Amino acid sequence: MKTLLVSSLVALAQALPAQHPALTARDSAFHALNRLAYGPRPDEVDRVAALGVTTWIERQLSPERIADDRLARVERDFEILGYDRRDLAAMYAAARRERRREKRGGEADTVAASHPAGPLVQRGRRLTGEFADLAVVRAVLSERQLYEVMVDFWTNHFNVYVAKGADRFLAPDYIEHTIRPHAMGRFADLLIATAQSPAMVFYLDNWRSTAQGRNENYARELLELHTLGVDGGYTQQDVIEVARILTGWSIQPPRRGAAFEFHAGAHDRGEKQVLGVGFPGGHGMDEGIGLLKLLASHPATMHHVSQELCRRFVSDDAPDGCVDDAVAAWKRSDGDVREVLRAIFRGPDFWAARNVRAKVKTPLEFVVSAARAVAGQPDTSPRLAQVVARLGEPLYRHVAPDGYPEREDAWVNSGALLDRMNAAVALAAGRLPGITISLDSVTAASEPEALIDAVDATILGGAMSANTRAVIERQMSDVSDPWQARARAVGLAIGGPEFQRQ
Amino acid sequence: MTISRRVFVKSGGLALFSFGLDPLFLARAAFAVRQSAGPPDRRILVCLFQRGAVDGLNMIVPHGDPIYYRERPRIAVPRQDVIDLDGYFGLHPRLAALRAMWDEKILAVVHAVGSPDATRSHFDAQDYMESGTPGVKATPDGWLNRYCQHHREHADTPFRAVAFGPELPRILAGSAPSLAIDDLQAFGLRVPQPGVRDRLTQAFEELYAGSATGLLSTSSREAFEAVRALRRADPTRYRPAAGADYPRGRLGKALLEIAQLIKADLGLQVAFADVTGWDTHVNQGASEGQLATRLGELAQALTAFTRDLGERMRDVVVLTMSEFGRTVRENGNSGTDHGHATAMLALGGTVNGGRVLGKWPGLDPAQRFEGRDVAVTTDFRDLFAELLARHLGAQDLSAVFPQFAADPTRFPGAIRA
Repeated sequence: MKTLLVSSLVALAQALPAQHPALTARDSAFHALNRLAYGPRPDEVDRVAALGVTTWIERQLSPERIADDRLARVERDFEILGYDRRDLAAMYAAARRERRREKRGGEADTVAASHPAGPLVQRGRRLTGEFADLAVVRAVLSERQLYEVMVDFWTNHFNVYVAKGADRFLAPDYIEHTIRPHAMGRFADLLIATAQSPAMVFYLDNWRSTAQGRNENYARELLELHTLGVDGGYTQQDVIEVARILTGWSIQPPRRGAAFEFHAGAHDRGEKQVLGVGFPGGHGMDEGIGLLKLLASHPATMHHVSQELCRRFVSDDAPDGCVDDAVAAWKRSDGDVREVLRAIFRGPDFWAARNVRAKVKTPLEFVVSAARAVAGQPDTSPRLAQVVARLGEPLYRHVAPDGYPEREDAWVNSGALLDRMNAAVALAAGRLPGITISLDSVTAASEPEALIDAVDATILGGAMSANTRAVIERQMSDVSDPWQARARAVGLAIGGPEFQRQ
Repeated sequence: MTISRRVFVKSGGLALFSFGLDPLFLARAAFAVRQSAGPPDRRILVCLFQRGAVDGLNMIVPHGDPIYYRERPRIAVPRQDVIDLDGYFGLHPRLAALRAMWDEKILAVVHAVGSPDATRSHFDAQDYMESGTPGVKATPDGWLNRYCQHHREHADTPFRAVAFGPELPRILAGSAPSLAIDDLQAFGLRVPQPGVRDRLTQAFEELYAGSATGLLSTSSREAFEAVRALRRADPTRYRPAAGADYPRGRLGKALLEIAQLIKADLGLQVAFADVTGWDTHVNQGASEGQLATRLGELAQALTAFTRDLGERMRDVVVLTMSEFGRTVRENGNSGTDHGHATAMLALGGTVNGGRVLGKWPGLDPAQRFEGRDVAVTTDFRDLFAELLARHLGAQDLSAVFPQFAADPTRFPGAIRA
């Protein structure tokens, strides 16, 4: 309670105008909407500017107080949300049996893979598609934008690969019950939740790690990626000791639902030492909990995770000042993610002109911001997620535990740029299946000049360059049909260089 | 193997002929390949990255060493299944198709190759292997890109350096133009009406030329040059030659598209593709199983590629690489954990084939790295540098591998001098 009081006092004291003097109210709103949210929907820049960007940021930091009815209505159409881990495990097992049956039934040639999938396999595929699409739909529609951004952040920080064996049915449970409940909570809680999540225990092989046959996979990534960071000052011996502490952290057999289980018989009962801290043997699962708490509040962890957050919200080269502010807030608040975020959004680096419109959007950010820019209403078909995948970011399908990168050089290359242009043109023309758009909400204008002005204000936040304006103008003279003219202008704006940045 | 039948069908004045699976064809092509490699500026290097750390010991099996069998009771490849190469080493049975290339001396193995850095992190080790600077994280570009930066005598075309996949990998990141192609046929703007497509292409080109900055600017410029060049080459009409049967999946598709680009003469010099699925911590299998399946796909892809290119293979070398090898001893889950040295394959016309190169450190625990892994006796930079120098004719290796004195006396000898 006392800590809470102190931290809110500190927060109040720091409540400086969260806006750079060089930015207008609209510019500030546009910037905040690009970083804390997946870009503005039509009119949203004006609404945030009118409300005051500081107030809007504070609201975003308390997502539980934001009504989200529109998303809730759409979520009801997602069949996947109606099943729990046990249901999905049973379906997966049934689909496997079906596939085996059909393989045996078919001719024993090597092209058997090409015969059509049975109904259970098809349902499995549909649900997997829905699962990826749900992430995109939430990002497009939710009013709790910062929350959805953080869900994506942690999903990558604690990456699992959905196509690895049991993770096909464990990953939805992981997102719903591990990542989402803790995305704006305390880092330690999130870390412990991931360590005990069936999806992670399976993905990084810890379920197979026993005192008799140790597996270091999870232990290593826990230190390198989830907590301390690769330069966090641990040794190969630390990795071994961590693996020993976590022996026995396992799951039930998948056919019984794959819930997390501690197997005392598989646990290494000897004494261990990690980062110079002794862990007396014989304390079973408590050793692991103690270890995770130690790691969660280790200075190297604070630094590593703060750096990642600054990279996500401020600049690919996380500014030292941003990281320092975030670490200080982390210490003050005992790893409360909201406080860390608040410190980042209050810092001068977040509002510095050099960081505004400086980051290139990831494929997910590009597709979602494009959909939002044209007031898109996505459905449950996996088509939008497929576009994100084509642009290089198939959701939940990053094989390696490091998650998708947050650097522009990972996303900007000539092939990917052409694909972004293709997606933009298709979206603006209403040719992208899986989403309905409303160009009327961008502008009703048909006169080229008014049309381009509206596109600039609504989609590019007023940053359209003279060159872009001239090119779009020339294209307008090419098209007589007013509907087509509007689609062309919007497509060029979204596929053009300004919209690739946030 | 089935006896080949050559069927000549006369149809409308066109003689269509198809080759069966004729081992002699490969042999003849290989012979031609080995005899007459073209000048270095026509040569091509294809790099395949086995991401996840391939188990070099089950790929190129030291079947002559009892320690191998002692340490891997459940996952060793039984001696009778190994395709022997030199009495001590042999191919995994699913690599059997490569034996013909070994016999023709266009396939070499470099064993015990790896990084001087001890990391067992996939990401660090891949990072180092791609940046070419083990132990240095701050290197901004990849070594293949640095090669392209410093050897500009090769005509710069947008297709000089191409990665086949959705993302440009670290190894090709940098200031020299390089391209990521996920689907060769769909490269460019996809609009049904050609007139609209051309106008839109031009509009986007103008947008990016006038308004883009930084990486967006260079990448978009490369994109539009590539679109123009590819339109002229028309890849939609491509058919692999000589009955080459590429496996389904990303690797087969990547190698098929590499073969297409090579034959289209668009100036491809450096190609890159990922092959995933090698991180076999659990149930790795022996002659059959997880690793066997991946190796089978690799062998089929390399065979198809060699067949498809035929005599063009004389100018091409395919090099496999992987961030590190795996533990000598199997783990508690019939798998292997992250190790140190691994094996790499070099296949092509200039390869000094038919031998296992590099100094073999042995499997005895006393000879292992940290008591558990195959020790590195060939720094991967020595192998990469040899490929660049002797195959592609690179002069200035210090620019490609900074802080590393590339020394031809340390080259493993993968390329015929």
